[in-house]
Amino acid sequence: MRKIVAFHSYKGGTGKTLFSISLATTYANRGKKVCLFDLDFRAPSLHAAFKTDGTEYWLNDYLNGVCEVEKVMTELSQSRARKGELLVGLANPSTEAIREMSAKDRKWEMKALGRLLSLKTTLLNDMEFDYVILDTSPGLQYSSINAIVSADVALVVTGIDASDREGTKRMVHELYDLFEKKAGVIVNKVIADLISSEGAKRKMRKQLETIYGLPVVEMIPCFCEILRAGGTYVFTEEMPEHPFTKTMDKIATKIDRF
Amino acid sequence: MNEKIDVMIELQKHDQKESEAVPDVLDVMTLLSLPDHLRKTAVTISRLDQATADEVAEQTRRARAVESGYLNQLVIMGYLKKERRGRKAYFFIEK
Repeated sequence: MRKIVAFHSYKGGTGKTLFSISLATTYANRGKKVCLFDLDFRAPSLHAAFKTDGTEYWLNDYLNGVCEVEKVMTELSQSRARKGELLVGLANPSTEAIREMSAKDRKWEMKALGRLLSLKTTLLNDMEFDYVILDTSPGLQYSSINAIVSADVALVVTGIDASDREGTKRMVHELYDLFEKKAGVIVNKVIADLISSEGAKRKMRKQLETIYGLPVVEMIPCFCEILRAGGTYVFTEEMPEHPFTKTMDKIATKIDRF
Repeated sequence: MNEKIDVMIELQKHDQKESEAVPDVLDVMTLLSLPDHLRKTAVTISRLDQATADEVAEQTRRARAVESGYLNQLVIMGYLKKERRGRKAYFFIEK
């Protein structure tokens, strides 16, 4: 079933962009038609991973009503692994654009929500995309809540520190529950010792599921290789045998069952 | 004393004017503040842009009469507009 998946988090730097890129490429490598959008207008980041030459229209333009969504989407050059199609829509990284997006009023945000909600019909029904992946900004900001409302599935990426856990818990109950979203939690950068055995993993999963009231999709240890890659290339495509790539494959299958 | 009261009345009038100038905007923050039953209807209208009670009911899988009631409530609250076209009543967000 076709769906829009949004990656969200309470705090920044949890790995939303890494997961968005990895999930999009995993589906594209399975032969699916995928679109990946950068909805983090305050700190755009997808442009760094996908160096598209001469982007003419940004997602900012689509939300401003300047152009249709087709104009924003850039098809990426084929990699060896990719059997399907992968298109990206980028947020404008210029300081001027970031400042402009931060100063939008409520009426503009209402129109932006309408345009995001209409993507479901345009992209999934008319353009026949199998998946649309949204990389959002952290916390309870207009752009991220708009994205959550527009998505079919919301995945919260969280760490294990107390402040992130508290904030995520509150956010889940005060936002996701109200919009009746299908949601799941990905716990990232877990200290390997905490999930070294199946028993420890099960115990931790149960604890976290009780706290959040949501299924824990996966608990992922901290990988130095990912940090070393520094977001300069698509990790799951360059490292197909790495445990992180295998985990992303499992996550992709689990999302299908949501 | 009278001067003070005059100033207070003026300030009150000013406050009233300011609150009148703020439109009833159906953005996500408003959606979060709505009761659950109205939120579902409001999100559906945001998605459809404009729709009849029948069309909203088809999406929410609730009875047409129920949706009609909720839509009219949102009109009274100032979030939606209603317009008759022939025999059908259309609800929409004024943009």
